[in-house]
Amino acid sequence: MYIHPFLLAEVQEQLPATEEVRQKMLQGTEKMSGTEITAMTIVGLAVVFAALLILVIFLYCSGTVFKKTGKQKKSEPAKAAPAKPASQQPKQQPKAAQAPAAAEDDGEIIAAIMAAIAAMGAADGKAYRLRSVRQVTRGGSGRSVWAQAGLHDATKPF
Amino acid sequence: MGGVIEFFTNTIEGLWNDSGIHALFSGGGWKNLLMILISFVFMYLAIAKGFEPLLLLPISFGMLLTNLPMAELYHANLWQLSADGHIDYGAVLRDGGLLDILYMGVKLQIYPPLIFLGIGCMTDFSPLIANPKSFLLGAAAQGGIFFTFVVAGLLGFTAAEAGSIAIIGGADGPTAIYVSTRLLTGGGAITTGNIALAAYTYMALVPIIQPPIMRLMTTKKQRAVKMEQLRTVSKTEKIIFPIAVTIIVSLLVPSAAPLVGMLMFGNLLKESGVAARLIDTAQNALMNIITIFLGISVGATTKADQIFSLKFGGVMLLGVIAFSLGTACGLLFGKIMYRVTGGKVNPLIGSAGVSAVPMAARISQKVGAETDPTNFLLMHAMGPNVAGVIGSAVAAGVLLSVIG
Repeated sequence: MYIHPFLLAEVQEQLPATEEVRQKMLQGTEKMSGTEITAMTIVGLAVVFAALLILVIFLYCSGTVFKKTGKQKKSEPAKAAPAKPASQQPKQQPKAAQAPAAAEDDGEIIAAIMAAIAAMGAADGKAYRLRSVRQVTRGGSGRSVWAQAGLHDATKPF
Repeated sequence: MGGVIEFFTNTIEGLWNDSGIHALFSGGGWKNLLMILISFVFMYLAIAKGFEPLLLLPISFGMLLTNLPMAELYHANLWQLSADGHIDYGAVLRDGGLLDILYMGVKLQIYPPLIFLGIGCMTDFSPLIANPKSFLLGAAAQGGIFFTFVVAGLLGFTAAEAGSIAIIGGADGPTAIYVSTRLLTGGGAITTGNIALAAYTYMALVPIIQPPIMRLMTTKKQRAVKMEQLRTVSKTEKIIFPIAVTIIVSLLVPSAAPLVGMLMFGNLLKESGVAARLIDTAQNALMNIITIFLGISVGATTKADQIFSLKFGGVMLLGVIAFSLGTACGLLFGKIMYRVTGGKVNPLIGSAGVSAVPMAARISQKVGAETDPTNFLLMHAMGPNVAGVIGSAVAAGVLLSVIG
């Protein structure tokens, strides 16, 4: 702790301060030696790194646990799912046949997009038929068009 | 008749001698005048240039008020340690002016943690939780603090002064004020006001200071690295995070507990989703009130007789060195991570490790987009950026433990 030299002289004369208090006061006023500076710097950096490293380890551990529980939750409905869509199978089958490339895609999404296109076409008196759904290789960004649009929206103000 | 005239002239003379104008143009009054002019410069920077106006404007106005002679709004002598090594708060309450009373909140370390509460309410730690490696970048950027400490120590500053100057490198105003008020007693050439002025000025200058260092330290190939999309973080993780960070950091560095504790409390309020009213108060009304009190009272500590010294020049010079070193350390660690991960980490996010939220992250985004406009680094840079806030609070705690 820094004490003004003038005040310190007064303190030393008048106050019967304990040795501990006096030492602490003196500590701030004195210029540091090279060894002290080096020691403080190394200790300081090491403690900051150690504290944050512990947090990194904690986050990795908790992240792993949450990823696992997240996957379990996702896989549970997946196992239960086949029983339900069995009755809807005939309805979805023709679309699935037309869309072999999108076998893993959700048929409902394709149907919804197709319905939107059909609705737009109906206004012009045109009819569209879905022949195939192909996966488009994403450009350099590695993100879907929706993700790119979202990112663009989110980062545009900056 | 002669007596009346004499009485009249004596009264006028007394009034003149007691006026601020007389004080301003006699003795060391020119220093006050110069300080008032400097306060105008900071007001101009805040109003016309938009340099951290929410803090620079109250600080500069506090600077103006404190340097008006005879106004007696702030008394530096009241804040010097008494014979028993403590501040006489009774004397402050009895004899202090308005700004002395407000400054008690700074000196008693009340305002900075409350500002951290508001910051916690506004901060989203998801990018950090999704990519815990970011913590290391936040830690590396604190190298600016410790290397500046070395430079300041070698230049002959005392441990308390060197620690207060070094914390400017943390690029976090409340933390800088928190540390400097604890370390500096007001009797020396450097005051909390000097430190705050330097910290906020350089924080406003982050867009000018950082990009050249970023371009200098990275190759075009490194700047063009596109990072993997971050995973989605669950609500439970977001709730556990502030509780865990508070416990871990407070156990390791207890002196960082007021800052980190309040930051994380604010974040818990936000993530819990059950305390909307409290969040609203903490991040709006409370934070605004505290910002006004903090700014104007810290500005008041910049008394003319204390600011005109070589040491203040040293503070400003070392402040910019601290910022630059912090940026360089973050980038350097970013480059190490780039190598270790086989080019999956863009080193530019390392510079966001100096706190300055969210400005430093925006700079990473901007410099990255200069190389490749389709590169979006903002969310990746927010990880080290918020880690930097925690990192600088931990570094502050370490400095206080070692020096205080």
